[in-house]
Amino acid sequence: MSPEQFVDNLISGVAQGSVYALVGLGFTIIYTVTRIINFAQGEFVMLGGVFSFLLFSSVGLPLPLALLLAVLAATVVGAVLYLLAIRPARQASVISLIIITIGASTFIRGVVGQIWGKDYMPPLPHFSGDNQWLWIIGITLVVMVALHLFFSRTMMGKALKACSINRQAASLVGIDARSMAFTSFALAAALGAIGGAVITPLTAPHFRMGLTLGLKGFVAAAVGDFRSQVGTVVGGVILGIAEAMVVVLDWGPFASAYKDVIAMLVLLLVLFFRSSRGAAQEAAS
Amino acid sequence: MLSRVRGKWSYLAIAALLLFLIIIPFKWFLGQYTVILIFIGIHTMVTVGLCLLMGYTGQISLGQAAFYGLGAYFSAVLTKTHGFNPWLAMLVAALATGGFAYAIGFPIFRLRGNYLALATLGLGIIMAVLFRELDQFTGGPTGITGIPYLSIGGFTFDSPFRRYFLVWFFCLAVLLVSQNIVRSRTGRALRAVHGSESAAESVGINVAQFKVKVFVLSAVYASLAGSLYAHHITYVNPSPFGFLFSVMVVVMAVVGGLASVWGAIFGAATVRILSDEILLRFGEWDVIVYGLILVLVMVFMPRGLFVALKEAYERWRLTHRQRGAEA
Amino acid sequence: MSGPILETRGVTKAFGGLVAVDNVDVGIEAGRVTAVIGPNGAGKTTLFNLITGVYPVSSGEIRFDGVPLDNMPTHKRAALGIARTFQNVLLFGNMTVLENVMSGQHPRSRYGFLEAALRLPKSRREEETITLNAIKYLNLVGLGLYAQRDALSLPLGQQKLLAIARALATEPKLLLLDEPGAGLNRLEKQELGDLIRRIREMGITTVLVEHDMDLVMGIAEWVIVLDSGRKIAEGTASQVQRDKRVIAAYLGEEVE
Repeated sequence: MSPEQFVDNLISGVAQGSVYALVGLGFTIIYTVTRIINFAQGEFVMLGGVFSFLLFSSVGLPLPLALLLAVLAATVVGAVLYLLAIRPARQASVISLIIITIGASTFIRGVVGQIWGKDYMPPLPHFSGDNQWLWIIGITLVVMVALHLFFSRTMMGKALKACSINRQAASLVGIDARSMAFTSFALAAALGAIGGAVITPLTAPHFRMGLTLGLKGFVAAAVGDFRSQVGTVVGGVILGIAEAMVVVLDWGPFASAYKDVIAMLVLLLVLFFRSSRGAAQEAAS
Repeated sequence: MLSRVRGKWSYLAIAALLLFLIIIPFKWFLGQYTVILIFIGIHTMVTVGLCLLMGYTGQISLGQAAFYGLGAYFSAVLTKTHGFNPWLAMLVAALATGGFAYAIGFPIFRLRGNYLALATLGLGIIMAVLFRELDQFTGGPTGITGIPYLSIGGFTFDSPFRRYFLVWFFCLAVLLVSQNIVRSRTGRALRAVHGSESAAESVGINVAQFKVKVFVLSAVYASLAGSLYAHHITYVNPSPFGFLFSVMVVVMAVVGGLASVWGAIFGAATVRILSDEILLRFGEWDVIVYGLILVLVMVFMPRGLFVALKEAYERWRLTHRQRGAEA
Repeated sequence: MSGPILETRGVTKAFGGLVAVDNVDVGIEAGRVTAVIGPNGAGKTTLFNLITGVYPVSSGEIRFDGVPLDNMPTHKRAALGIARTFQNVLLFGNMTVLENVMSGQHPRSRYGFLEAALRLPKSRREEETITLNAIKYLNLVGLGLYAQRDALSLPLGQQKLLAIARALATEPKLLLLDEPGAGLNRLEKQELGDLIRRIREMGITTVLVEHDMDLVMGIAEWVIVLDSGRKIAEGTASQVQRDKRVIAAYLGEEVE
C-alpha cells in the first residue's frame, strides 16, 4: 500500500467512522436519559438517506434543502416513535422494550420498503467536487460542536444532562423526565438522520441500510459504555478506520462482507470486556 | 384440586388437538394447507426453544436463525457433500449446533439485558455472513440443492403429506419434552433465574449453568427444525437464515405468550397464516405487520397475546359463573 | 455448645475507596441465634453478601464448618448449608407460593434436564419428595393454606415468612436473615420471634441482621455490633447494651 493510498483509506475510515459516531451518539443520548437501547436507531439513518434522495431526486428540491428537510422528517418520526410506542409502555421490562424497539424498526423498514420500493436508490451527487469524505468529517465536527454547546449552554440541554446524571434529582428540581425522554428520541433521530444524509452520496440509499449502520453505531456507543459521548465518537472512528484497513488488506472478494464480521467481533470483544466490569458494579450497588 | 381438574382438561385438549392434527392433511379436510402446516410445525420447534429461553428463563436471543441455519446447512453439507445418512446427519447437526451453543454460551451469558440482545444479534449476523461467504462449504448465495428426503427403511418422506407427519412427530415430541421440563425441578430453576438471579443462587441454583443449558436446548431444537427444513424443501440458501427469521421467531414467541409451551403453536400458526395466506394477497405487508404486532403486544400485553387471551377467557368464565350462581 | 460453625478472620471488603467491611473477625456458635446490629451503612448486609459469596472478599478468610470458602460461588455455599433471606425479599414472582418453596429444595435433589424431559421414574420420585418437604416447610411458617396463591399476591409479612420457608427448604445448617422484622407489625414480629425459636430447636444456627431492638433482645443469645465496617462490640444482649462504644455509635445517628 502506497502512502497516498494509506492516507486515502485513513480519511475514508475516519469519515465512515464519523457516521458510526453520529449514530452511536443517538444510542448514548437515549440510553443516558431513558435507560433504553433503541434498536430502531439504525432506521433513522435509513430515513435520513432515503428522504434525502426522495426530496432531491423525486421532489426536485435543491440539495441543501432536501438534506435539511430529510433530517427534520426523520426527527419527527423519532418523536412519534416515542409517543406511540415507548411512552405508553410504562414500567416495561428490558426485554419488552427491546422487543418494542425491534418491532418499531421492523415496522419502519417495512413501510419504507413497501412505499418506496426495495431496490437500491441511486446515490445523491457529492456535496461538492470529489471530497465527500471531507464533507462528512466536517459536518460531523460541526454537529459535535453544536451538540456540545447544546448540552452546556442551553436550558434544555442542561436539563437533559441533569436527567441523564440523576433522574430523581432532576425531577425534584422540576425537570419533566418524560418530556426529556421525548427530546432524547427526537435528538437521536436527528443525529442518525444526519449520518444517513451525509453518507448518501457514497452509498446507495436502501430500505435495509439501517440494520448494519445501526449495529455499527451500537458498537461505537458500546465503546463509550452508552454513557460517554467522547467514548462513543472515539469508538466510531476506530471502527471506521479498522474497517477501512481491513479492506486494504485485500482478502479478495470477501473483504467487504468480512468487514461486517469484524465489526461484530469488535462488538463482542467490547461487550465481554464491559460485562466483567459491569457485573462487578452491579453486585456492588 | 383446581390443578387436577385443569390437568384433566388439558389432556382432553391435547387429545382433541392431536386428532385435529392427524386429519388435517387429508384431501377431504384441509389438505390444501399441508405445506403451510409443515412450516408451522418447523417454526413451532424453534419458537418453543425461544419460549424456554426468553419466557421462562428471561434471557433474550435475537440470533436463533443462526442455529436454525446451522442445522439446515450441516444436514445439507453432510448428506450432499459427504454422503451421510440423513438421520445421522441430523443427529450430528444437532450435536454440533448444541456444542457450538455450549461453547459460546458461557461468554455470552455473562451479558445481560440489552448487551445480551446485541451479542446474540451479532452472532446471528456473523453466521448469516458466513453462510453466504464460505462458499466452498455452503455454495455461497446459490446454496446447496438436491438434498435427499428422509426415509425409514424403504419408506421415503417424498410427499408433503408424508413429511407433514414426520415434522409434526418431531414438533409434538419437542413440545412434550419442553412441557415436562417446564413442570420439573429444572423448570423451576429456569423460572427462578428469571424471577431473581440473586435469590436463585441463594437456593443453590447455578444460574450461569442453567442459562447455558437452556440456550443449548433452544439451539438443538432450532437445529432439528433446520434439518427438517432442509430435508423438506431439499435445498438451502442463505436468505431464510437472516436477521428477519430471528425477529419472526420473537414475534411467534410473543404472540404465543412467552412463558407458555403450547402457545408456541398458536404463535407460529398465527404468524405463518397471517404471512402466507392473508397478507400475501395484499402484497408483502408481512414485515410491517410483524413490527406492529411486536409493538402492540408488548405495549399492551407484555406477557403475550396467547396468555392475554387465555386470561381474558378465564375472567369471562369467572364472571359468567358468578352471575349464574347469583341467579 | 459445639464451637463456631462459621468463622471470619480479618475479612475486609472494599468497593473502590469505600471500605464496607473492615478487618472483621467473628465466630458464629453452632445452634445459637446471633444478631448482627449496627447503624445504617455499618456493613451488615455486606457481611452477609461476603458469607454467601455474592462478591469475593478483598482480604481475609471465611470458614464454614471448617471448610475455607475462598472463591466458592454462592450456589455451592447453599449446597454446603448456607441459606439466606434478603432485605428486599426477592421472591420468585413468576411462581406460586408452593413452587417458591419447592425451588428451595433444589440443592437437596438431583434430577436434571434429561430425567425431567423424559419424566423418568427418578424425576417423579424426587418430585414427590420435593413437594412433601415443601409443604412441610410451608406449614412450619404457617402458610400452608396459601400454597397455590401467586407468591407476590401475599401481603409483605407473609412474603417474608415465605422467603424464610424457601431458605429453610434448602435444609441449611446456617440461616442468615436480613432484616426479617422490617415492615412487620407488632403481632407479626412476635410470630417471627416464635418462628426463629422453632428454627433454633430444629438445630439450625441463625444469624439475623435486625434494627428492631425488642426483637433482637427477645431472641438473640449473642449480639455482634458493627459500625462503619468494623466490629465494635459483641456479647450478650445486655452486655452490648451497656457498651460505651455501642451507645456512642447509635447516638451518632438517632436512636431508634
